[in-house]
Amino acid sequence: MDTPLPPAPPDDPLTTFFWEAARRHELHIQRCQSCGTYIHMPRPICRNCQSFDLAGEQVSGRATLYSWTQTYKPFHPYFVERVPYVIATVTLVEQPGLQFMCNLIGIDQANVDAEARMGMDLEVTFQDLGDGYVVPQFKPVGVVL
Amino acid sequence: MSVQRQGRKVAIVGVGYSDVGRNTGLSERHHAAQAAVRALEDAGLQAKDIDGASTWGGDAVDFGWMIGFDDLRWSLNVGVAPAFITPAYHAAQAVAMGHADTVMAFRIMMQQPPSAALASGAAMLGEPSMVDAQFRWPYGNFSPVQWAGLLMNRYMHETGATEEHFARFAEVQRSYAQRNPDALLRDPLSAEDYLAKPYVTKPLRVLDCDYPCDSGSAVIFTTEERARDLRQPMVLVEASALSAIRDMNFELLPDMVRTSPKHCGDLLWSRTDLRPENVSTAHLYDGFSIITLQWLEGLGLCEPGGAAQFVMDGETRLGGKVPTNTDGGAINVGRRHGANFCIEAVRQLRGQCGDRQVAGADVSVWANAVGMFSGAMLLTKG
Ligand SMILES: [Zn+2]
Repeated sequence: MDTPLPPAPPDDPLTTFFWEAARRHELHIQRCQSCGTYIHMPRPICRNCQSFDLAGEQVSGRATLYSWTQTYKPFHPYFVERVPYVIATVTLVEQPGLQFMCNLIGIDQANVDAEARMGMDLEVTFQDLGDGYVVPQFKPVGVVL
Repeated sequence: MSVQRQGRKVAIVGVGYSDVGRNTGLSERHHAAQAAVRALEDAGLQAKDIDGASTWGGDAVDFGWMIGFDDLRWSLNVGVAPAFITPAYHAAQAVAMGHADTVMAFRIMMQQPPSAALASGAAMLGEPSMVDAQFRWPYGNFSPVQWAGLLMNRYMHETGATEEHFARFAEVQRSYAQRNPDALLRDPLSAEDYLAKPYVTKPLRVLDCDYPCDSGSAVIFTTEERARDLRQPMVLVEASALSAIRDMNFELLPDMVRTSPKHCGDLLWSRTDLRPENVSTAHLYDGFSIITLQWLEGLGLCEPGGAAQFVMDGETRLGGKVPTNTDGGAINVGRRHGANFCIEAVRQLRGQCGDRQVAGADVSVWANAVGMFSGAMLLTKG
């Protein structure tokens, strides 16, 4: 395959934990070490208690589906051969309103209305895009890819 | 407490567009110059009468010098913000507070690269924060149309709205555009035509999106006192509001369907004695059609969750409870990034809308953006 991968994460000390964990097939989310609030996307300060003491922590990888959209039009060369695909926002079970964006995989694209149900239970899985670029994804609980 | 009532009463006295179109070959400066000259002509003002300028797109000082404005007493260049409402809001505030007497607010917008260039890798869509994009791009989430798809789908789930409601919305907007010589898309459009189009990102179709083009828009704000001597019927700024409820990652709001427009609407109504039921015409952002529905609800022009049915019932048509987007919206007049809603509101209050004029229009609201940030302005006939 000679199409380029999606742009790689920048060299950013704030988010390195996330991508390193993904390569180990673990989902880590930034958490305030002072008040316990999870924060996504990562920030240098906790918006609940203004602490700067923040670190990535492993989460359960369980979530519910909040919304989805099935994209037909590619906006980058990598996705030209991959449309349609489903972009989803999911709510991680660790904290109310803790939203995470991903693809919903492990569903039949031709039957998306029936298979992508708002509120359904999901679990994390990991997808290797190539060159060690591993991204956390979500799929219906129990689906084997 | 009203911010604007603390200062001078503000009027809108001139409006103008450039030669809006697809890939016009005209520069940003050229669009600004055309829009400015037409707004001045509309108002009966000279370039030297302008002593303040604001813009999103290009540079207000550069435009002012080029066009021949007076020495500027106030200027502002806006970055990523809720569309034209931002330079417009601050222009009105500058007049109210006496920082300047007559301010021109611009929105200059050049057509974005075509999707074929994006798919080939020859171009990329702009991205305000590379740091946050790392959590979107690997998932193929590059474009605002995708958060709009997420919003639209969640809205449909919560309210029971269907694709047929959005088809009706498109049909109503086009029926207005057919009465507007400024619209770029004026062919007849039925709900069936809408439903026959492919998805961009399901459930959203191409006719849910504003129409890409090059556009220049200019609006002149001055004092009520100065406006009395000018050419046009009086249009006054009654109240305005800006809202911002999170960073640019709109997709991560835990409640996507009750966002900034509700907050903004509450602020707006707290600054006036007028009420939603006083509104004669509404001009509500339609960068994606779902946004107009969000504003109908956020401003209290219909019941919460009831906007799709409100549209289906014909309440946004001429003769309905709240004629909405009477210019046809940006889906048909082209992406003027909010400025068209201001300009059409002004024209309705002046009684200059021809076939699409709402009889007796005396209160008009216009509003921009959705999600993380937004803004709205209430105008009255003087
Ligand atoms: Zn904290």
